Amino acid sequence: MRILLRVLVETLIGLKQGGWSNWLVVSILAIALTIFGGVLQLTITLKSVVAAWGSQLEISAYLKDSYDPKVVAHDVSLLPEVQFVEIVPKETAWKELQSAFKVASLANPLPNTLHIKVSSTEAVQQVAMQVKNLPSVENVRYPLKVAQRINEFRHFLELAGFAVTAALTAATLTVIGNTIHLVIQSRHREIEILSLMGVSPSYIRSPLILQGATYGAISGLLSMAVLWGLHAYLDPYLSEQLIGFAPMLTHSLEHSLAQTFVALLILGVAVGASGAFWTSGRYIKI
Amino acid sequence: MIRLQNVSKNYGGRPALTNISLHIALGEFAFLVGPSGAGKSTLMRLLYREEMPTSGNVFIGGVNLNRLHKKQIPLLRRRLGIVFQDYKLLPRQTVFANVAYVLRALGVNEKDVDKRVNSALCVVNLDDKGEAYPDELSGGEQQRVGIARAIVNGPPVLLADEPTGNLDPATSLEIVQLLERISERGTTVLISTHDQPIVNAMRKRVISLRNGEIIADVDSGVYEVGSTG
Repeated sequence: MRILLRVLVETLIGLKQGGWSNWLVVSILAIALTIFGGVLQLTITLKSVVAAWGSQLEISAYLKDSYDPKVVAHDVSLLPEVQFVEIVPKETAWKELQSAFKVASLANPLPNTLHIKVSSTEAVQQVAMQVKNLPSVENVRYPLKVAQRINEFRHFLELAGFAVTAALTAATLTVIGNTIHLVIQSRHREIEILSLMGVSPSYIRSPLILQGATYGAISGLLSMAVLWGLHAYLDPYLSEQLIGFAPMLTHSLEHSLAQTFVALLILGVAVGASGAFWTSGRYIKI
Repeated sequence: MIRLQNVSKNYGGRPALTNISLHIALGEFAFLVGPSGAGKSTLMRLLYREEMPTSGNVFIGGVNLNRLHKKQIPLLRRRLGIVFQDYKLLPRQTVFANVAYVLRALGVNEKDVDKRVNSALCVVNLDDKGEAYPDELSGGEQQRVGIARAIVNGPPVLLADEPTGNLDPATSLEIVQLLERISERGTTVLISTHDQPIVNAMRKRVISLRNGEIIADVDSGVYEVGSTG
């Protein structure tokens, strides 16, 4: 307990000696964490959007007139990944079209149609191809392009975001290393005395590692504040846009935001402590 | 207490110590003398495991330092008191805090810290200077603080590396006499120095080094500058 108290006191002294470089470290790390958190949150959001939308994606299969739609619907429902099949008889579709557009009295040109729901966006294309290959099916349509684009954008965002985060994390580690090195230099006499008098290296290094972890924790809290502000600002707009096709989506995003905050705090502390651990190990020799 | 067996130390092929063997008994008081570059500081650094010998063995209290694991080095150093030429005091801490610094880092409780620091300050006659800062003290007083810090943990061995290097002759004699009194309490004391008048005044064991080799090892000896370089 006494040693722990001494370590805390030494950590505070180290932070005091850090001066302006404390803020440099915290700023850079906070920016890196904010970008990381933002990318993480946006990725989760897009994934949720695609998943929620995907669950509402339908394949429309247009049948040849010579086949019984009930029989075809049964065959399709047996395919894996198919959740639900709805039959839209050609007569019903024609009536709806006529009432909506005041179409002239013509012979019904529409085919019988099946609306097929699948379990995931990834399965849409595969199921569509299987259905299209059925002899009873004239053609299929499915609005997959947009979902694919969102997925592609999400992958790009993940890569770009993590690349920027990695670069900023490397920069942060360098700045933390330099700051801790400065503290070691300014306290070299104390460190030398402690080392020569038989104080263990772990005691000598622990205030420095704690100092790095403190930088990480403060940076994590700052990035949380920024992301929370952005969330609060964008939330009304997002809720309005998303509630249309996924009522549960905004709730799940709140949940993922909490997880992102925990990740930011853990990552911040880990980056700060590991930077200080590495530097103190390099410069403090027995 | 201190034993070296055929110890050699090279730096990049250049010999700093060559085939040194010596034994210093428990409670003994000895000088290690020689001109600059003779190998005194290298030998001292081997004793507190700042350096490892290129060949040969170094023993402190029967422990072979060559076989000491890195994690055991702090334990060895707690059994040694080390006094430096430049005192190595913390300028922003009081005399008391300087002496107490390592004890606190080792987790000794405040009651014991008080007791042991006051006792060490009494030994060096600085019991009334506990609240002073190093820059308020003379060189001799600062070195006495360094000695108090070295003995506060009750080490069986005290190593003093040029302890009088920054002091005038009268103060130097006081410091060496203080180290002699500490030795009389049972502590093995080894002082490296090239301060001839002090060595000659004390008439103690003198181990003379030149070019990394022992050229003389005499009880009640003197430091003959001419013969040592």
